[in-house]
Amino acid sequence: MSNTLLFVIVIGATLMLVIGGAVTIAITLYRANRLIVSEVVLPHLEKVMGARLPSQPVELINRKEEMRFTFEGNEYSAFKGDTIASALAASGIKIFSRSFKYHRPRGLLCCSGHCPNCLVQIGDEPNVRACRQRVAPDMIVKPQNVTPTLMWDLLAPIMRFLSPFMPVGFYYKTLYRPKWIWKVAEPLLRAAGGLGKASHSESPEDTFDKQYLHGDVVVIGGGPTGISAALSAAGSDAKVLLIDENDQLGGYLRIKAEAKDVVDELCASVYAHPNIQTLTETTVTGCYDHNWLAATHGDRLYKIRADKVVLATGVVERPLVFDNNDLPGVMLGSAAQYLLHLYAVRPGRRAVVVTANDDGWDVAADLHAAGIEVVALADERERAACSSAKMESLEAELPVFWRHIVTSAHGNTAVNAATIAPLESDGSLTTRRTRLECDLLLVSIGWTPNTGLAYQAGVEFGYDEDRAELMARNMPDDFIIAGRAAGTHMLEHQITEGALAGRRMASAAGYGDAPTTSEWTFVQEEKKREVTRSSQRTIVKGSSKRFLCYCEDVTDKDLTTAVAEGYDSIELLKRYSTISMGPCQGKMCSMNAVHLCAHANTSTVDETGSTTTRPPMTPISLGALAGQNMEPVRITPIHDWHLGQGAKMMVAGLWLRPEHYGNPTEEVRAVRERVGVIDVSTLGKYKLTGPHVPNILEKVYTNRWRQLAVGRVRYGVMCNAEGIVIDDGVTARFDEREWYMTTTSGGAGAIYEWIQWWMQSGWGDGVQLINRSDDFAAFNLAGPKARTLLKELTDIQLDNKEFPYMHVRSGVVAEVPCRLLRIGFTGELSYEIHCPASYGQHLWEQLLQAGEQFGIMPFGVEAQRVLRLEKGHLIIGQDTDALSNPIAANLEWAVKLEKDDFLGQRSLLRVVENGLKQRLIGFKVNETGPTPEEGLQIVSINSNSKQRKIIGWVSSCRFSPTLNQVIGLCWLPTEIADVDGAEFIIWREERALTAHVHHGAFYDSNGAQLRS
Amino acid sequence: MLILKCPNCGQRNVSEFRNGGEYRPRPSRPLDADDQQWSNYVFFRHNVSGLQKEWWYHRNGCGLWFLAERHTKTNEILSTFRWGPDRTE
Repeated sequence: MSNTLLFVIVIGATLMLVIGGAVTIAITLYRANRLIVSEVVLPHLEKVMGARLPSQPVELINRKEEMRFTFEGNEYSAFKGDTIASALAASGIKIFSRSFKYHRPRGLLCCSGHCPNCLVQIGDEPNVRACRQRVAPDMIVKPQNVTPTLMWDLLAPIMRFLSPFMPVGFYYKTLYRPKWIWKVAEPLLRAAGGLGKASHSESPEDTFDKQYLHGDVVVIGGGPTGISAALSAAGSDAKVLLIDENDQLGGYLRIKAEAKDVVDELCASVYAHPNIQTLTETTVTGCYDHNWLAATHGDRLYKIRADKVVLATGVVERPLVFDNNDLPGVMLGSAAQYLLHLYAVRPGRRAVVVTANDDGWDVAADLHAAGIEVVALADERERAACSSAKMESLEAELPVFWRHIVTSAHGNTAVNAATIAPLESDGSLTTRRTRLECDLLLVSIGWTPNTGLAYQAGVEFGYDEDRAELMARNMPDDFIIAGRAAGTHMLEHQITEGALAGRRMASAAGYGDAPTTSEWTFVQEEKKREVTRSSQRTIVKGSSKRFLCYCEDVTDKDLTTAVAEGYDSIELLKRYSTISMGPCQGKMCSMNAVHLCAHANTSTVDETGSTTTRPPMTPISLGALAGQNMEPVRITPIHDWHLGQGAKMMVAGLWLRPEHYGNPTEEVRAVRERVGVIDVSTLGKYKLTGPHVPNILEKVYTNRWRQLAVGRVRYGVMCNAEGIVIDDGVTARFDEREWYMTTTSGGAGAIYEWIQWWMQSGWGDGVQLINRSDDFAAFNLAGPKARTLLKELTDIQLDNKEFPYMHVRSGVVAEVPCRLLRIGFTGELSYEIHCPASYGQHLWEQLLQAGEQFGIMPFGVEAQRVLRLEKGHLIIGQDTDALSNPIAANLEWAVKLEKDDFLGQRSLLRVVENGLKQRLIGFKVNETGPTPEEGLQIVSINSNSKQRKIIGWVSSCRFSPTLNQVIGLCWLPTEIADVDGAEFIIWREERALTAHVHHGAFYDSNGAQLRS
Repeated sequence: MLILKCPNCGQRNVSEFRNGGEYRPRPSRPLDADDQQWSNYVFFRHNVSGLQKEWWYHRNGCGLWFLAERHTKTNEILSTFRWGPDRTE
């Protein structure tokens, strides 16, 4: 019994397996057969026979010039004038790319440079729009995001399986726990999705550059409206720039054979007009403040200063969202017209046209005339709503389905059928379905005005429910929208509106008379009576995937889910779902997304609003933004000499300065033992004249200046209102009225502006402040032999009695008129010699020549840093930051709080009142060993818990060849800094380094050398 | 890019200028200001959304520090003028 049962079960199971297997195989074979016939055999036939039509009246191709190029390794032919897309379509190619996320096959959709479906890689340039890029001979074109080929993408079935688990934002929800999962998943996700591959080469194949352009009236868009606006503005004598992203003017009229003569005539007048400059193949990517436009033309970025702007950017055809609406073979009606008329390419053999406006009838008529079988023309409207002139003739020849809409496209890698359904009187779908075999499904249901630039210019839009279009609510004085972008669809209205807009902007720019209000109102009223061009319908619900966003594979279901999750405002929805953030920048999806969002929230489209459109309107290569690699640097008058001596140059602010000439330690020794000279031409150098110079000095410096005698020099510190040190330097007094101020190299520009600011807002007092920084070269001659050396070149009395420390003298050195300041940043006897920049090199060479017998060495910034550190001198910006006040920075001696009002005084009084917490102080490292890097932390270590607490930081540190010890400056809590010899810990590479506080200069602490 | 009218040089691209922040008159007698008043002057900015009087410096031009009335939302510049003790309050 049990054996029999077992037997039956085994037999039954076997039979079921066999039958199941057979059915599966049968279904697979059936599918494969259909796949093979419809998607392999037919395209192959197309490849052999070609999809090129006989000559068309307005075609752009030159059939006499043929060239070859490759796509995915296969060779194809193209005529001159063909785009990559048209040439491939002519060879029967249906699949152009694989989609961003799911690797679904994608074909031509818009054919007008907006959608992401035909993006290809050419050489090192990713994301080139194949429908815009003309074929060049031997061009190597590759598809993007394919693993490994367009036809057989391994990720496509995997993604189809995974897609239910990958709703919008799935990785936010799933890939955060455990923590390591994101690290594992991220590279996989990044590898699986994406676009083309950017070049990492430092020398890209292209040369990018920039150009500036100007126009009284800049017309964006070269269709009938734009041309009309340009001609009328130019007729008023305004200088006009006419910009179009196509390589020919004419806009949508280019595809109309009957308009050929009109277009040719209009273009001829534009090109002949002396006031119009035309830029084709130029895309305006942004409209910035005060009509500052950015546009790209190949590898060139235009920066355009437009006085007034006419926006005539037209419309973008709006896709309908229905089941499998992304299958190759589903196209916008206008796309088929572009292929047909401009490139004589048959977009398919059997077409279904779905429409909701008269434009769709034109599409059907064009296909029919070209000999393409139109198996159905489904119009969403009642027959009475149609006003197409072609209606009656087409009705007689084509199967027309009134009140029908498409519900689904069918096929695996290309369309092989479409299902249409009749509509109830309220617009909802009935249950009846008609399936139509076809390989082309064209959709013409509405238009989205191309108004992104207007949003950027400050125009606000409202949604006109009757017309299902966005209309401008306001218009700035220097910007106007006209033509289809403003909802004007009829040619005669476009021409009139364009002309009026052109005249209006020309007049606003100061050329000619503006149109009268009645003229303007008349055309506005006329265009309001035009028939509706757009359907209210955006989504047809079904059972498969329906794509709103082609760029990043976002479906209507994704968006509905996102709204349900609370991302219910259009701006949040955008950020969460990435809709409108891809290469099309919302041109394909934003209107549909707004409709969906409104519907999901049961609010109106107008209340929902739309997302802010920011530049760039279309993707722009970073190379175009960067332009040529130009990095200006400042060089001193003896730059070439430094280079000739093999100096290692360093960047110091905008300057290039010698860091050293090979051996900074030897340079330090030369200065300490003999004599050295450094190029300090980078210092800020200002001339101040007038009887009241001391007044301004008293205000901007923290110390006293009124008593400074003629012929003397004084060091001073500058603070801002917060009491923070912003600069230091010396100022000399030549005579009663003339003073000479020097600032740090870094502050040379800013301090001039700073003092000017105060002088121009009430503290001027008749003082003249002149920036002489570039006029003078300056060299610091330092070392015990400096005086002896200088005596050989000048008659100026140099003896200590005649020319003591902190004094200034004018005179001739090496036949050059000079100013000598006896100061001592390095801590040695030194003369800072300032001479006219043009004599700089001569003087420099004379000093070196005369110094040869004393063993002179030129020294660089590095040696100077060591020398000043040995002397305990700080460098503003190195040892101080935006929180350092002069009292804490060990400059208390230069702050006279009791003097009259000066910048920083009020704040510093409070600092003194509250007491210091930290202080800048010198230190020596206890042990010999590594030199702590600048910026290292100073810590205190809790002896029990071993926990470290940051209590300070190292601001300067060097090995001193003079002391044979590591010395530095650091910020420390006052209780440590105040005790000479107090020990503290510098934390370096996970180890404690002990150092101790050192009060006073490390070298020559009583200043004997300075004054010698 | 904004266009700014320098009182000396006329209309220029804003790239020729340096912005000096909102106009804040310095208390004429800082030592008489109490801590609150002084910290208001030093640390606080109004950061208005609307018309703002602000400093500009014609750095790559004549070197004039001047004042502008700018709408911070629309970037409309209503006027530009030289500083004067009687013109700024």
